[in-house]
Amino acid sequence: MNLDWLDAFLIFGAFKVVEIMGLGLLVHLQLGLTRVANFGVVGFWGVGLYAFGVAHLKVDWPFGDPYQFLVCAAIATVAAAAAGLVVGWLISELDDDGTLVGTLGFATIVVILATTQQGLTGGALGLGGLGFPYDFGRVKTHEFTWLLITTAVVALIFVYAWRVHRTPHGRLLIAVGANEALARSLGKSATAARLRMMTVTSGAMGLLGAMHGVMVRSLEINSLDVGVTLAALAALILGGTARVFGAVVGVLLTVALFDIVIQFYLPIPDGWNTQALPVAREAVFGAAIVLMLIFRPQGLLGQMRRPALMRRLHGDW
Amino acid sequence: MAPSGEREGWSKFGRVPAWAVSIAVGVVVVVLAALFDFWATTFVVGATENAPLVLAAFGFALLYRLTGLLNVAYAETITLGAYFAVWMNNSWGLGFYVVLLPAGLLAGVLSVVTYLAIFRFAKGRRVGNLEMIVISFGLSIFLQHGLQFVFGYRRRAFDIPPPDTIEVFGVGVSSFRLLALASVAALTTIVYQFIQRTSHGLQIRALASNEGLAQASGVRPLRVTILIWFVAGLCGGLAGVFYGAGASVESFLGIDELLLILLVVLVGGIWGLLGVVVVGMATGVALTGITLEYGNSLYAELVLVVAFLGVLKFRGRRLTDASKV
Repeated sequence: MNLDWLDAFLIFGAFKVVEIMGLGLLVHLQLGLTRVANFGVVGFWGVGLYAFGVAHLKVDWPFGDPYQFLVCAAIATVAAAAAGLVVGWLISELDDDGTLVGTLGFATIVVILATTQQGLTGGALGLGGLGFPYDFGRVKTHEFTWLLITTAVVALIFVYAWRVHRTPHGRLLIAVGANEALARSLGKSATAARLRMMTVTSGAMGLLGAMHGVMVRSLEINSLDVGVTLAALAALILGGTARVFGAVVGVLLTVALFDIVIQFYLPIPDGWNTQALPVAREAVFGAAIVLMLIFRPQGLLGQMRRPALMRRLHGDW
Repeated sequence: MAPSGEREGWSKFGRVPAWAVSIAVGVVVVVLAALFDFWATTFVVGATENAPLVLAAFGFALLYRLTGLLNVAYAETITLGAYFAVWMNNSWGLGFYVVLLPAGLLAGVLSVVTYLAIFRFAKGRRVGNLEMIVISFGLSIFLQHGLQFVFGYRRRAFDIPPPDTIEVFGVGVSSFRLLALASVAALTTIVYQFIQRTSHGLQIRALASNEGLAQASGVRPLRVTILIWFVAGLCGGLAGVFYGAGASVESFLGIDELLLILLVVLVGGIWGLLGVVVVGMATGVALTGITLEYGNSLYAELVLVVAFLGVLKFRGRRLTDASKV
């Protein structure tokens, strides 16, 4: 495959867009549907990243890629899902304030463990040696193929989120998010619904973390940064927390705008890419969250189309 | 005025008054410190090194208990206090003790500005509690990064002579740290007495308990709320100056401390404002003790975060409710 026309930086920029889109879709299920404000997205993503990296680099597997990748990715997904289950249980009886502290605390624990367990994770120095589970010869071809595979995974997450809106489980999540007391009074198990949602979405966040590890080919403590949570949250709020397409539109208007359009196509002064632009990017994301929630809390795409959807699914009421 | 049951939460550890518990704990600490070297080092270093944590938690608790808002952007009040102080120190050559109070006051003013420009405006537009928290998160991120364009990307340090070292129970402590501890004691006493004993304090408590009833009784909510935000900002700003003098100043200074502050406020808040002070102090001592024992401050933080989250789970929703008025 001749990819000379394609800039390597552009591939990485597109990968970030797709990755954050996936995280945004998962945050949509947590925040938009169930009203669980997860401020520790980077923690679940980081569990996946580090579980994958450690399993890949520190275990002497009797088989090579792609089986090694598949097994390690499965370990990463299960580890993140288990973390989601534990954190979900921890915050199940708490209000929004407690949820913030619980999820933020979990993310902090992940960062501390990744930093202190140097023998496993490489600590602050990081750990190199990860690679693509295939060999086509050229690095650019590897990265482009990985971008396509990640896009396929995120497309599956999109389909899942889309389907959830239309399933009894999804409707229960919406009910729990809208009025938990009412849902409980109707005999629904709000806790079980939340735990299931947290487990599945956290596992998927872990899988995206593992896929990130393959793309960057190393474990770096700096990657466990609040920027991951911020990007997913800002994009979703901009697009609309209650809509499946909210994350897609939001990421295109935020991450794609900064990491592709501005970074590659605007004539910005030399040196801005290293310091000023990343700092401005985060400041703008923060400002976008504030302004959107004050002036248009439902996001650009507006409210969930429940009545229209229900009519389509069940006929006129 | 707050019902008597709610007033109890301000000053009691269960059925024992919080001041009595504080004095008892203090006596135990002094006896242990006098008898054993390890405990002396742990208590003295823990109490003095982490005095800014107590001060910051006290300010945050004021805001949280009296307005019900879990304001993530409070972290940037701490950062701004440090930035203002280091800026005055570096630009005009003013000494640490000279810049301390102005920096705290400026942070208090900025705290009020964020309330008027963002939170009051959002409340007027009937933004929900969850959205308010997310707004404060966004504001925190905006300020963390926006401040780098104002104060520069690099870390900044105070240009001050090394502080005097004073021996306490045989442990050398810098004068800055002792001043921080004294500030915690003075501010908590003043603010606590102000809230409990003055008519303004009564208005604050009344507003926190029932805003509608307080307004109907003649309390002017805007003036009182501004006062709360200012005092909270002052505490945060002063804490920031002490944090900055102990290390260096950069835009993530406040947010790096926020989780412990939140946990101290949520857990200590069960027993009121004095509970926040006692739990904050105990947290500082525990941080130092574990760090001295295992040689890594991150392990200490890990142990404390896990322990606090355990309390959070055990107490459940009651905990966050109790932390508010």
